[in-house]
Amino acid sequence: MGPVHHELAGEPIFAPMIQIDMEIKAFVSAWRHCDYVSTYMARMISQNRSDSVRHSNLFSSALNELLEVASRTRHAGGDLACRVSRHGATDRIELTFPCVPEERQFYEEAVSHVTGTEARERYLNSVSGDLAPSREVVLLELAVDYNAALRVEEADGDAIKLVVDLPLEGLQH
Amino acid sequence: MSPYDLLPRFKAQYDANNQEFSIAGVVRPQAIDELGPSIALLRDAIGRVRGVLYLNVRRLTQMNNAAFHAFSRILIDTCRARPDLKFVVITSSVVGWTSRKFGRLSGIEPNITVEEYDSEFYPGQGFLEEGGFVPILRSQTKMTWRHERAILPRHGMRQGIVMADICCGIGDFAVLVQKEFQPSRIVALDHSISSLNYARQVMREFDIRGIEYTYGDASEMLLDEAQFDLVTCRHSLQIFNRPELILKELYRICKPGGRVYITNEKNSHCLGEPRAESIRWTYNEVAKLFGHFEMDVELGPKSRRYLMEAGFEDIRVETFMVTNLDGDPQDFADVIAAWADVYAGEMATRRGDGPEFVAQFRQGFEDHIFAALHPKGYAGWPIWVASGRRPQ
Repeated sequence: MGPVHHELAGEPIFAPMIQIDMEIKAFVSAWRHCDYVSTYMARMISQNRSDSVRHSNLFSSALNELLEVASRTRHAGGDLACRVSRHGATDRIELTFPCVPEERQFYEEAVSHVTGTEARERYLNSVSGDLAPSREVVLLELAVDYNAALRVEEADGDAIKLVVDLPLEGLQH
Repeated sequence: MSPYDLLPRFKAQYDANNQEFSIAGVVRPQAIDELGPSIALLRDAIGRVRGVLYLNVRRLTQMNNAAFHAFSRILIDTCRARPDLKFVVITSSVVGWTSRKFGRLSGIEPNITVEEYDSEFYPGQGFLEEGGFVPILRSQTKMTWRHERAILPRHGMRQGIVMADICCGIGDFAVLVQKEFQPSRIVALDHSISSLNYARQVMREFDIRGIEYTYGDASEMLLDEAQFDLVTCRHSLQIFNRPELILKELYRICKPGGRVYITNEKNSHCLGEPRAESIRWTYNEVAKLFGHFEMDVELGPKSRRYLMEAGFEDIRVETFMVTNLDGDPQDFADVIAAWADVYAGEMATRRGDGPEFVAQFRQGFEDHIFAALHPKGYAGWPIWVASGRRPQ
């Protein structure tokens, strides 16, 4: 029997798979938490993908970049929540973390720029540019290289929620 | 600080002979300063070479954007300052993101090209892994399984273990193991996408659970080290031109105290009665033919030496003979006919063999089939089984 897909009024329902919660203070206390969390979650959710090792490698690569973004937040308090859910070939990352208002505005603008034809050009320009990679590059790369769909959702308090749908199962070798 | 923090996560080195800078492992720094020595090594390498510098990222399992930018910046700047110098980035198709990400660089600077490495490591496999060979591989596994199901427990197979089947081909051995021994997990890896597609199709149709089929290069696997109780690699070392590289990887992914199990042939020892002389001549020629394509189908009795040299202990070696008496003699005959088609067909043609040789070569296979189907005949195909324990 194959996986069961749920849909309600045209909006697919993603089945929860795993969630990790940490105080942001604890999370940012060691840079390697990004690596630990992305590697662990990638392994956990990739077991029943058609190629578990390859899926885990790609998922870890994408999630680590998002966690590194969260790790650079300028907000000192609150919690980080990383939740992964699944609908068919797509895995959804919901990353909630505290941020200051300027950062929230930045993410909202950045996400609005990752769609559209100019996204690829912006991404290539950033690769060849002199400046160190910005948080926007991470989001552009997810959209361009991983075919990810991104959006920002409301979250409680001084937090922001990045929602990233990754269709890794469908990515060709 | 956890013990994990003490492990080196990546390694960069420069090989002056090959003008090759390689970086391997997980490169996820917080700040570029952490890459200082590696970046200095790359800059130094650039300063020493003329013509082409190879950048080997085949075993680069992860690299974050910060590190990628630091390294790519050096390549791009060098291209602009030194148009005489070319960069060739060697990626592996196994690591999904590398060709994609490094491929962007060639769009920016024409002097940077990206090549996927894998195919050159498998000089002769194309003969054996195309779709038409699948029924024969299934028959071969059916014939060897009659013996191996009794042999495997002597080499570490038992219920509940975590095992890997490297070079799993169409996955039929993994399925048989799953049904017979119920390991808790099987990771089955192969480099042939068509074989893996077939294996996954069988798994879906038969609702088989507990096997993870994964695409990979047996000489450089993405699998973590020391995670399997038993690692099997059947009929495969003999078709690689550098079996010691595969064994090194099998050793790496095997747990200390776990075992690596290999099977190989000595083709020149295939035999039959009647018509023994013709059969012997042909299989001697088979060994030479494979040798021409850098494959050693005489490897079986060398297994002990290979395992010892790879660092294993408690090495156990045994042999068994698949014969026409094991089951339906027609199965045996069908396998020989398929060998004849490939060996006296495409492979002989590729080597440039003349019609006279091919006729005699093919005759030996026909005589082997004759022996297998003869009511008083006997036909055999010997297999060497060997395993070694990774020291604690």
